[in-house]
Amino acid sequence: MHRVLTNFIQALRNADVRISTAETLDALRTAELVGYADKALLKSSLSLVLPKTLDDKAIFDTCFDQFFAARENKPIEAFDAEGTQGSQGNANEEGPKQGSGTGAGGRAHGTEESTITEQQPSAAVANTPPDPSSASSPLGQMLLRGNRVEIGVEINNAGRQVGIERIEIFTQKGVYSRRILEAMGLLDLQSEISELEASADPTDRRRGHELGRRRDWLREEVRAYVEQQFLLHADVAGRRVRDDLLRTVRLSALDQRHRRHVEDLVRRMARRLIANHSHRRRTFKRGQLHVPRTLRRNMKYDDAIFDLHWKSEKVARPKVFAICDVSGSVSEYARFMLTFLYSLEEVLPKVRAFAFSSHLGEVTESFEDNPLERAIALALAEHGGGATDYGQAFVTFAALCLDDVDRRSTVILLGDARNNNGDLQLDVLKKIYERCGRLIWLNPEPRSMWNTGDSEMRHVSVYCHQVEECSTLAHLERFVAHLVRTHR
Amino acid sequence: MPRESSALTAYHMTETHPIAASVAEVRKQLEDHRYICSDQIATAVYLAYHLRKPILIEGPPGVGKTELAKTAAEMFDLPLIRLQCYEGLDEAKALYEWKYGKQLLYTQVLKQTLDEVLQGAKGFAESVQRLHEFGDIFFSEEFLEARPLLKALKEENGCVLLIDEVDKSDQEFESLLLEILSDYQVSIPEIGTVKAKRTPPIVFLTSNNTREISDALKRRCLHLYIPFPDVELEQRIVHARIPEIPDRLRTQLVRFIHELRELDLKKAPSISETIDWARTLLLLHADRLEPDIVRNTINVILKFQEDIESVEPEIARLTQKAVDAR
Repeated sequence: MHRVLTNFIQALRNADVRISTAETLDALRTAELVGYADKALLKSSLSLVLPKTLDDKAIFDTCFDQFFAARENKPIEAFDAEGTQGSQGNANEEGPKQGSGTGAGGRAHGTEESTITEQQPSAAVANTPPDPSSASSPLGQMLLRGNRVEIGVEINNAGRQVGIERIEIFTQKGVYSRRILEAMGLLDLQSEISELEASADPTDRRRGHELGRRRDWLREEVRAYVEQQFLLHADVAGRRVRDDLLRTVRLSALDQRHRRHVEDLVRRMARRLIANHSHRRRTFKRGQLHVPRTLRRNMKYDDAIFDLHWKSEKVARPKVFAICDVSGSVSEYARFMLTFLYSLEEVLPKVRAFAFSSHLGEVTESFEDNPLERAIALALAEHGGGATDYGQAFVTFAALCLDDVDRRSTVILLGDARNNNGDLQLDVLKKIYERCGRLIWLNPEPRSMWNTGDSEMRHVSVYCHQVEECSTLAHLERFVAHLVRTHR
Repeated sequence: MPRESSALTAYHMTETHPIAASVAEVRKQLEDHRYICSDQIATAVYLAYHLRKPILIEGPPGVGKTELAKTAAEMFDLPLIRLQCYEGLDEAKALYEWKYGKQLLYTQVLKQTLDEVLQGAKGFAESVQRLHEFGDIFFSEEFLEARPLLKALKEENGCVLLIDEVDKSDQEFESLLLEILSDYQVSIPEIGTVKAKRTPPIVFLTSNNTREISDALKRRCLHLYIPFPDVELEQRIVHARIPEIPDRLRTQLVRFIHELRELDLKKAPSISETIDWARTLLLLHADRLEPDIVRNTINVILKFQEDIESVEPEIARLTQKAVDAR
């Protein structure tokens, strides 16, 4: 039973629940304590030991049901092609049991059940209970015996043999199905069937036909098995591949249909950052004695100094001003950066967002009142679409909130610095630069493109503390992580 | 069996407390102590007892997180040691401190007896030698002021240790807890390691989720999330706490609270507020819910003016709904 549990934990890990080895051991001890007999008890016990956040608990619930329901089904259901023919009473007994089994099992099992029952009448009409020994290949014999438990075990074994747990992406399903069938001896069966079908004897032909039918059923069975294994082991590995790709692809080259994934990914990145940075820190200046406090606290000991106090400083949360170019070329980047910044609300509570193309406007309020997606769409609709004018944007920004910018604020400018050869108003930018703690310019273009054409990077970078290329999620993540870290 | 490495195996559970025989028994016992709970909560207590692992309890305020620890202490008939966390809590307040005043006196006493000790010693080396032989108790158990965590470890027959609102404390304090939670021991640099006595404490940690607890801490704990209870469970809770309340009123007021929780409020009413409200209504001799009486007592369940204002116009409708619902 230990294997079952560790497999289950593997499935949980695949579903993005972080489980350490220590927790695995705890789970084993827990299972030993409460036993496997009472499933509800086992579930509630494991849900205390394994998942450690509310989100994880929800995943755990579905995963547990899926996993243990799937396991239970196999042994209970006997392939009853024989059973119905043999004794009616037995079939009746089987009926309700199967019904409940399928109910818990899920779709994959449901469909294959129906195909078998559909096919049964034809087998009954043929009225020739196939004799297992009539088939020459071992797989054929097994199929004719029709013991579902045995077949299930065989499929499992073959699956392990071909390493089904390494399946990664959905396109591999076909390959793995074929490999499993081959490992079970499909080739022998195949040649036997074609031999029988080519035979002149009608009984042989009928036998060949029957074998073929059962082979098709087996194929279905194996496919369902692979499907299930894929869900358990692989969906996530595939997702990991996709995530890795998405992180490094240029955001502007992103396909529309991947946007949902990217947003999801951004949120997950943000969650991780929050987990790492959500506590407020003090920096202790070790070595610098806080003399007044030390003397005060030691008065009760007759001024003998026992209890030392060191200077410490509570680190303030940064104020972030994000100014985003939302004109056509850069709007996609602005979307993701704003998603990122606003997903970090717990760590960065004071984010003010501004959007501009030809005119600049503050969009902070819209982010407070609306859900993220809608707020971003609104900002893009309201401010996007014009010809970019950086000079005007600087001037408006300065007029709006230069007074609020102080040493503790970080100003982030996102844009390609292509000003359509307009006036840059560099003196205004300089004013902002002198007032704020940090001014960071994020340019979505690759460095090689900077300063070409109407790009003004050379001029603006004089008044920036930092200029960064920021074209992929990986860049964005690195930048934001840095932003949070330097300020905590 | 796995886990040999754990220090926990050192503690032999010589006899299982009859209460902890099964989950159902734990649940029944908790109910006898007027703590009505779901199976999940009973399972958590059962596992905590048998695995000797701390429970980290999360959930909205007022669902009975602290109460569970108190009830468990009562149930197992163990002393409850409570440590309230707050920002700036450090080891001197949580773990131990030296009794500086007494140490000071000790040195003075030592100074006076120094002559006797050193009598007849020739030369500096011999004096130092004698001083060493004299035995140093400056840093010893006698001068150690045990704070809650250390006190819990020293408890002979075990105890229930409640570390309340651990999310309010600093990150550093969380790290300090790790040693205690996983091995039931603390290291005091001047003395060495202090291990728990025969039975280690049953530890409850509560958190209101104002910040994420670190993975290291979570890994060492069972994680229990207590949500708001469903209508039926909450009715039983109210019944257990205030048995004299008429059935009809109880049903109605619990339904009303559940209607409120559906609304978008700054702070949804908790179980403890339901109980307070039930007491209030009982005091006013109400025997059923009416809009007027709800309006007059709404400040018992809603604690923000903003919430009260937004609910006020809805009161008649909500009351009607709570009275009608079947």
